[in-house]
Amino acid sequence: MPDFTFYKARYQSELTGKSARDISELISVIKEVDESSIFHHIYHALLDYHFLPLEYPNDFAYWIADVLHEPALAERLADPDLREIHDLEALRARILSIIENYLTTHDVVGRARSGQEFHFIRCISVIFPTRYVASNMGEALEILKGIDLDSIFYYFIASRMLGGEHYKEFSRWVLENDSRELMESLDNLYPYGFANLNAMRTEIVKIVERYFWEHL
Amino acid sequence: MNEKRSVWDYEDIVGRGLLEDLELLAGNISGKVQHVNSTYTGGGVAEILNSLIPLFKGLEIETEWNIIRGDDEFFSVTKSFHNQLHGRVGGPVDVHAHEQVSVLEDLEMEIKDLSTKRRMLETYLHWNRVNAEEMTNDGDFVFIHDPQPAALIHTKEKGHWIWRCHIDVSSPDPLVWNFLRDFVSKYDASIFSTPLFSRPDLGIRQFLVPPSIDPLSDKNIELSQSEIDKVLDKYEITTDKPIITQISRFDRLKDLPGVIDAYKLVKKRIDCQLILAGGVAADDPEGMEVYQEVLKKADGEADIHLLLGSPPFADIEINAFQRASTVIMQKSLKEGFGLVVSEGLWKGKPVIGGATGGIPLQVINGVTGYLVHSVEGAAYKIANLLKDPELARKLGENGREHVRHNFLITRHLKDYLLVMLSLENPSSIIRL
Repeated sequence: MPDFTFYKARYQSELTGKSARDISELISVIKEVDESSIFHHIYHALLDYHFLPLEYPNDFAYWIADVLHEPALAERLADPDLREIHDLEALRARILSIIENYLTTHDVVGRARSGQEFHFIRCISVIFPTRYVASNMGEALEILKGIDLDSIFYYFIASRMLGGEHYKEFSRWVLENDSRELMESLDNLYPYGFANLNAMRTEIVKIVERYFWEHL
Repeated sequence: MNEKRSVWDYEDIVGRGLLEDLELLAGNISGKVQHVNSTYTGGGVAEILNSLIPLFKGLEIETEWNIIRGDDEFFSVTKSFHNQLHGRVGGPVDVHAHEQVSVLEDLEMEIKDLSTKRRMLETYLHWNRVNAEEMTNDGDFVFIHDPQPAALIHTKEKGHWIWRCHIDVSSPDPLVWNFLRDFVSKYDASIFSTPLFSRPDLGIRQFLVPPSIDPLSDKNIELSQSEIDKVLDKYEITTDKPIITQISRFDRLKDLPGVIDAYKLVKKRIDCQLILAGGVAADDPEGMEVYQEVLKKADGEADIHLLLGSPPFADIEINAFQRASTVIMQKSLKEGFGLVVSEGLWKGKPVIGGATGGIPLQVINGVTGYLVHSVEGAAYKIANLLKDPELARKLGENGREHVRHNFLITRHLKDYLLVMLSLENPSSIIRL
């Protein structure tokens, strides 16, 4: 069985120069912006350190609540049910459909004051191997318990959305080492259900430990 | 500067993961890095470079730091650029100001003003030409910091040139910005400290990299109580009353008169003292004038310690002032980033800051300190913190963690390495 090298990514923000002051500008920029912008604004908050659980887990929801004062739309965007979303174009379409559906029954008239605009940021992902290598699931479990949260984020969120190369590699390796059942449990992990990445790591470790408990 | 520093010196502060990544990212950088600014000492840019350059070298990246030279007139011009790029500080425009002036007089004033501006631009270009002749800019990654050396882009022969903007150019004087933009738009990329400062009219890539502090520098390193006391004794400051401190250059945009007014309001209710300590940067000829104005305003107030660092304060002294404080202020009217805010937070002190520029990135209102918009607002929040030491302690504790995760030099270094890799490979996904 080949060894498995854990990867991770670091992210650099690039300003796009595009911004929105109201809901129609937001929609129009979401439609045209680079898909790495969609990734950034939906997921980066999970990587950031927070003192309190996030009220809204993504930038679109936060801005709509805080600046446009439209909390009901923000709440819909905060829980967009991304289970079946596996690429960034589908994610973009889901975000747009939530906003556009809301606008069929509500007028959103808020407009950002100067300095409160929504600034679109493009995300540069630099992906590289870590020094952590596992030769069996026991070792993989120990690595998962201690590896940087950036690696957890990379495997269970970023890699799935940015082409899936390393997540698929991880899946294949788990399948070769153990069972489809374990991989399905990991596949079903829903990142938006967690307050932060530490909670997500705890859940991943629990899933793998439970599998060991039941099968070994 | 030939000194090297290992990133592993920071392991106890930031953990292993980031440091492993720094080594790996640096291993993928080839070529020479060059930083160019206008001073080795004084001000945030020089401070950051004094920490960053040894770390670049410690990662075995060939790195050079050059400064440009100029005469007093050049630095007066660039200081004026600095103020005009920051734009007009809020407040109503006096629409009656020109009513008493005839059309002819008005025109004469405009012509005089334009002629002054023309002379300023010529001075700026002259010294950039002089520096271009004297300096070899042969780096593979050339970071040009702020407007002073921006026109050096004309000497570019090779490499990626990056204009690193440390100031708020979101609402600049149009003439100065248009002049500067002609140079900046020739760069390969620019770097801004917050999205608010980005420009829609540059036509080049714009990266987001907030500045940082060095937790191991003399300005931020842990100090013992006896080291703090020694500094306070030297400046005849006692600790029998709570201390409010603003550390800043003597610069109008730092609103030192506003800090004194807020202190005076608090002093009526709570016995406390105020330290205003700062220096005058080598590239800031306006500083002494501002110092004299503040001196006059503080006259007769026994508990205001107005301290001019001349020669500049030792960094350990600034560190001691901050550590001895109950509340740190940074009541700027305009601010690029305001590194002193992170310095205060890193020392576990709550910070009251003006809601401008990069300060709101560091002061999370009600979590790491308070954002204020007026003298009265500042006074109210100072009083809150002086009367509730537990609240002050909690905000300070939060602030230290906020800085640990976001505003330390190791994160800054990582961002620069990522920017350099991104300039070599403009794709949004880079595989190493």
